[in-house]
Amino acid sequence: MGALLFVTASCEKYYEPTTSIDEESALTNAADVETATIGTYAVLLNAAYVRSVHFLMEYPSDEVAQGQSSGDDLTRAYRYTHINTSGHATNFWGQAYKVIAAANKIIAYVPDESSVILRQLKGENLYLRAMMHFNLVRVFGRPYTQEGGNNPGVPLLMDGMSDDAINNITRSPVKEVYDSVIQDLIKAADLMSEDKSNSFASKEVAQALLARVYLYKGENENAIKYADLVIKSGRYKLVQGGEFSSYFKTAPASNQETIFAIRHTKVQDRGFSAIGSMYFSADASGTAEGQGVSGWAEIYASKKYVDFLAKNPADLRSNFISPYTINGVLQHNIKLSPSTPMYYINKYSMQEGVINLSSPVYLRLAEMHLIRAEANAKTGKTAAALEDVNLLRQRAGLSGNALYTVGNLGAKKVLDVVMEERWLELAFEGHRSYDLFRNNLPMERNYPGTHSLNNTPTTNITQKVLPTDARTIFFIPQAEIDRNPKLTQNP
Amino acid sequence: MKKPKPKPTMWFPRKGSLRYPLAMMIGMSLIHSPQSIALPFANHATAEVIRLDRTVTGKVKDENGEPLVGVTVTIKGNNAIGASTDLNGDFSLIIPENLISNATLVFSYIGYAPVEAALGEQNTFDIALTSASNQLEQVVVVGYSAKKVKYLSSSVSTINNEKLRDVTSNELPNLLQGKAPGVVVSSASGDPTSAGRILIRGAGTISAGTSPLIVVDGNIGGSYNPVDVESITVLKDVAATGLYGSRAANGVIIVNTKMGKAGKTQISFANTMGFAQATTGNFRLMNSQQLYDFQSTFYPREASVLQTNTNWWNEAFRTGFVNNHTISASGGSERTTFYISANYYKEQGTQIENDKTGYNFRANLQSQLTNRLTAKVLFNGTFNKDNYANSNTLYDAYNNLPFDPAYDADGQPIDGRTYPNWLGRDRESFLHSVQYNYSKAQSLNVTTDVNLDYELTDKITLSSYNRINFGNGLSASYNDKRTKQGGANSGELYNGTSYSSRLLTSNRIRYSEDFGKHGLTVLGVAEAETTYSSSTSAAGKGLPPGRDVMSVATDILTNPTGLNEQVGFRKFLGQADYNYDNKYFLVGSFVNEFSSLFGKNNSTANFYQLGASWILSNEEFLKNNKTLTFAKLRASNGTVGNADGISNFASLGLYTISSDASYSGLPGAAPSQKGNPDLTWEKIKSSNVGFDLSFFNRIDLVVDAYVKEASELLYRKPLAATTGYSYVWVNAGSIRNKGIEFSLTSTNIKGKDFNWETNLNMAFNRNKVLELSDGSTVFNSGARQPIAVGHNMDEYNLPIWAGVNPENGDPQWEKVVKDANGNVTKELTSTYNQAQTADSRQFAGKTAAPKFTGGLSNTVTYKNFTVSAFFNFVYGNWVYNESRVYFDNDGLYESYNQMVLAKGWSRWEKPGDVVTHPKPIVGGNKDSNQSSSRYLEDGSYIRLRNVRVGYSLPDNLLGKNGFSRVSVFVSGDNLWTGTKFSGPDPEVTLSQVDLSSGLSSLRYPISKKYLIGINFSF
Repeated sequence: MGALLFVTASCEKYYEPTTSIDEESALTNAADVETATIGTYAVLLNAAYVRSVHFLMEYPSDEVAQGQSSGDDLTRAYRYTHINTSGHATNFWGQAYKVIAAANKIIAYVPDESSVILRQLKGENLYLRAMMHFNLVRVFGRPYTQEGGNNPGVPLLMDGMSDDAINNITRSPVKEVYDSVIQDLIKAADLMSEDKSNSFASKEVAQALLARVYLYKGENENAIKYADLVIKSGRYKLVQGGEFSSYFKTAPASNQETIFAIRHTKVQDRGFSAIGSMYFSADASGTAEGQGVSGWAEIYASKKYVDFLAKNPADLRSNFISPYTINGVLQHNIKLSPSTPMYYINKYSMQEGVINLSSPVYLRLAEMHLIRAEANAKTGKTAAALEDVNLLRQRAGLSGNALYTVGNLGAKKVLDVVMEERWLELAFEGHRSYDLFRNNLPMERNYPGTHSLNNTPTTNITQKVLPTDARTIFFIPQAEIDRNPKLTQNP
Repeated sequence: MKKPKPKPTMWFPRKGSLRYPLAMMIGMSLIHSPQSIALPFANHATAEVIRLDRTVTGKVKDENGEPLVGVTVTIKGNNAIGASTDLNGDFSLIIPENLISNATLVFSYIGYAPVEAALGEQNTFDIALTSASNQLEQVVVVGYSAKKVKYLSSSVSTINNEKLRDVTSNELPNLLQGKAPGVVVSSASGDPTSAGRILIRGAGTISAGTSPLIVVDGNIGGSYNPVDVESITVLKDVAATGLYGSRAANGVIIVNTKMGKAGKTQISFANTMGFAQATTGNFRLMNSQQLYDFQSTFYPREASVLQTNTNWWNEAFRTGFVNNHTISASGGSERTTFYISANYYKEQGTQIENDKTGYNFRANLQSQLTNRLTAKVLFNGTFNKDNYANSNTLYDAYNNLPFDPAYDADGQPIDGRTYPNWLGRDRESFLHSVQYNYSKAQSLNVTTDVNLDYELTDKITLSSYNRINFGNGLSASYNDKRTKQGGANSGELYNGTSYSSRLLTSNRIRYSEDFGKHGLTVLGVAEAETTYSSSTSAAGKGLPPGRDVMSVATDILTNPTGLNEQVGFRKFLGQADYNYDNKYFLVGSFVNEFSSLFGKNNSTANFYQLGASWILSNEEFLKNNKTLTFAKLRASNGTVGNADGISNFASLGLYTISSDASYSGLPGAAPSQKGNPDLTWEKIKSSNVGFDLSFFNRIDLVVDAYVKEASELLYRKPLAATTGYSYVWVNAGSIRNKGIEFSLTSTNIKGKDFNWETNLNMAFNRNKVLELSDGSTVFNSGARQPIAVGHNMDEYNLPIWAGVNPENGDPQWEKVVKDANGNVTKELTSTYNQAQTADSRQFAGKTAAPKFTGGLSNTVTYKNFTVSAFFNFVYGNWVYNESRVYFDNDGLYESYNQMVLAKGWSRWEKPGDVVTHPKPIVGGNKDSNQSSSRYLEDGSYIRLRNVRVGYSLPDNLLGKNGFSRVSVFVSGDNLWTGTKFSGPDPEVTLSQVDLSSGLSSLRYPISKKYLIGINFSF
């Protein structure tokens, strides 16, 4: 009995988890910093980040048409009928701050003066923090160009903050968020010196994002400066011909135009929960099929966009749309009246031959040319602006009269053609609504889609959203306000 | 044939009953030797030198005249002298000379009322014992000992095998529903592979588990099949549960399996067969015409859709067959007994593709190895095969449009993906998919117990109870490439395996002695257990049609997973049990327990329990009272802990290194859990007072009142996203449950041929959050059921639905406006955002917790016929009928079927209409289906859980055929339910799961079952 008691007492033992490690041992040396940095990137793969942020950024645009109503919150992003308990806004907010918090731990751990490898990794985390703050301030804060950036932005979560400060954090003005983003990116570009693949941050990735941030901020010279740096770095090239037509079917590492993409490997196929599932449905070979075969396929390229693209039948960018046809006849989603033509979008499908696999592209070289063009146009450098636009049009297979000269612009201003080219080139990549609203332009929809359900009668398919409309940005998630009442709500 | 005379034997205080080895524990306090002899065989020597002793002999039978084996015969007041009856019920006892005068013999047997007989001049005794139908005489196992109910200081409920198994199911919780006061069972599904959840005396925790601890055959955990269960004891108050320390916070359910009875080997067959159909309650889906008529008011629907009228519900549900067959054998000699059984259970779910098959074997052996050493070896093996519903069958049954056809002209299921002009939203027909797809699991569980009891002296017993538990599971899901589910990946296969082993040893020392009228028992226990579990899973894609093995997969679908984990517990406990003259009882215990689950700063905790009771009816002033035949007062107080339901490493700050943290094919580590090294046991302080009364020996009333106050609640606290974490485990605040429960059993009529017995039990529980940590007033704010100080933890906090604006048919909610002076006014708004704010969401006093629950049973026997009816009821709870989002949403989904409006509901058609439902609009009317009090419904119900008519063949017919018993019955489960709830089934999970309770989602309703049974023994 005594022996039994002894044996029993010796059972007082702690066990270690096997799929996790204790945080105290997570960041103790240089190798840990690399592992933890991978973990920071990995948060971007969560559907709650990559899928939700895509819906919030892309669906308010006039590039897409939702062909049938849905109870999913994505419908509200499309129709501008937001609610403060939006699932996708809550998802995105939560994941974005998770990335920032994970990055902050590494930023705090690694001193600025350290080995090349550690400086690189610190720079990558600074980049990720900047990218998240910038995405947050675009989704929840008004454009910088309104009120000089003095509207409420989002909380700036920085390294070294106390628990108390974090629990009582408030929204910084848009301007301060931009300043912080720029500061992080400049420092990130300075720290990073490795030419990592386009699945990771590197000097040019930070510079590319800086170009975009400056453009949004209206600092055109800086936008040109950083776009130039990226273009002239020689690390990227505009892919041509067939390579361009299959741009999004190519794994990022093999794509020389992509600057930064959120890499999904073959085991990270999200099936019906993938971004591409909303756009595309096909058989295993990629031939368009009816809804529900491989995806929901209820968000289509808008008739407005398709018609505009069709003005130049040779435009290779039509390859990014797969009309669903039966015996050559275009099919329509008949749930609405008028019905919606089913122009499937394939920019988020068929990577490495897997239907719903894609690695969403966040930055690519074409955008650098468009940033430079837009900034040049705004600063009166017409020829330089048209040169970049034509470069992209030539790459898209256009020639002759389809290319612009100062003489053939007609009634259009140079900025108009830059914006049109941006629309054609970057469609479905989450740019359009920001491009319009930051330039003080309205979003005009006049094509079939569930936005008509906002109207009476619902056969009226028009919708015009002014850049000053309260719903061009999203509500702060109510659950976050409930946990931290210091956060103010958007009107 | 001449029977051998039983040899006179001296009584050694060994286990009184072979059926209840633990019953020896009471034997110890009632029967003791005045001598303190060390060696067993010394007694024989002593016996031979006594000269003037008297030998008495006799026979003990039961009420049917069958001999009873193993009945204890003792001399009152001198328990050292005793004997037990042999296989023929005969006994022989030598009474020492000094005890002859005034001696009284006591005949006792577990489950039977004891009989006393004065010795007088008589030398032979023929005694008949009657079974103790009186609950008070039942012996129940509580904690680490067994006692008669009437001597307990605790609140317990017992349910015997017969009462337990009226309803047909292979899951114990489903059998317990409504059987004991304060034991609330709720099943979330009619799926035969899923068991209901048990909640005892309300939920007292936020994030930790609410399921009671199951103790099988004396040790925590273990496996069993309901057919082998002899009795269930539910321990509710802390004096009884406390010995289980950390894990008893939610009450304890003690399961005792059957043991053999010495005597002729009895072989029994029990067979139940029947069929089951889904209940549909008040719920009706629309047919084509109804849906067309409804949708035509707001949506241009072509009349041609009326050519098809598919009833998808009927396609998804079927009549399921139920089979339950058991063969068992029991018997044995005086020293060794056995019970062995084999059971086959098969229940087809009412939903297609869903069924459960179970094979169960049990062998329980007990042997008196020496006069002082008893060994018990228990073996149980179960093998289960579960087939799950798959391919979204339930979802489609509710939502598919009746306009879409199920079968083509050849009678083959149609594939919604390729059918032109399929109108339903998901272009999906489960009928097509289930031809090829499946989802299934199988599991093997083996439990082996070796229990030893050794009497070191007459007063000291050493016991060692040991258990090995082994479990192995396999699961597989297959989505064929021909189906919608598997098409995108050219076929998908998911395989999983799991393994667990659990080792437990419980070592006990018991000392028991009487000093005149004082009786004392002291118990010490040292217990340790460790559980190891591991699992792996793999998923592949690219499989040829119909080929469902991993080796033919051409690619992986997701990364493989696998883990292994270990958890340990260690416990010391001491208990002292004192009684004076069988009138006053005191029990006190102390438990010290360690668990590896908790933070290193706080992994050990202490708990104490005290109990007292007083049998008034043993006092002079009540003795021989003809009205009040028994009366006892009970009181207890103590603490227990809760370590259930939290994750294995809840206290640690963690970085996940699973493949979720990998990026671009490289391994990573991402922060996943905020650490809390101070995390400790949730503690529950509980007090109970109660009384047991018996009137005319016919009416038994048991009443209990209790207060349970949980402090340092385990809570998985959601964090603001800006912290970078989703949650942290904390000890947070305090919740109180208080309540009253009673059980009233009345033998209304007791006659020669006709008997009628009624039992009513009811429980009233009230829950309140008293305090939260850091001075917070609310946790999980914004949730449908936040944890808020001063409120029931199941109370809803929602935007308040304010009906329909009669002018324009818009939905309306209440908007709460606070002016600068803090004055609050309410306005109506049709903008959901204005209602979904911290200010506008309101507690409306509606909670998912019932005001009361209970059961009512009536049993009537007439000669060989028995008729019984059993109702259970739940009253005063509110159910959030979430699934109405799909089929009652004012036009949001024109491509889902809709429910027929329930009684009293109406839709807006024109200005001035005062109605319940807004104007339907394609795409939805202003978020009218968003979370609000609109979908809260009264969840009260009363259900005829079982009705049964049984007939036993009379004895005169049996004898000739060699049968000892033949009975037949017809039985019906859940035949009638009374409720206002609009869905198919009002039953919901009443205990919180993931911080929500009372939620009715797309429900798999429970079954009505029609059964016949035939049981025979020989």
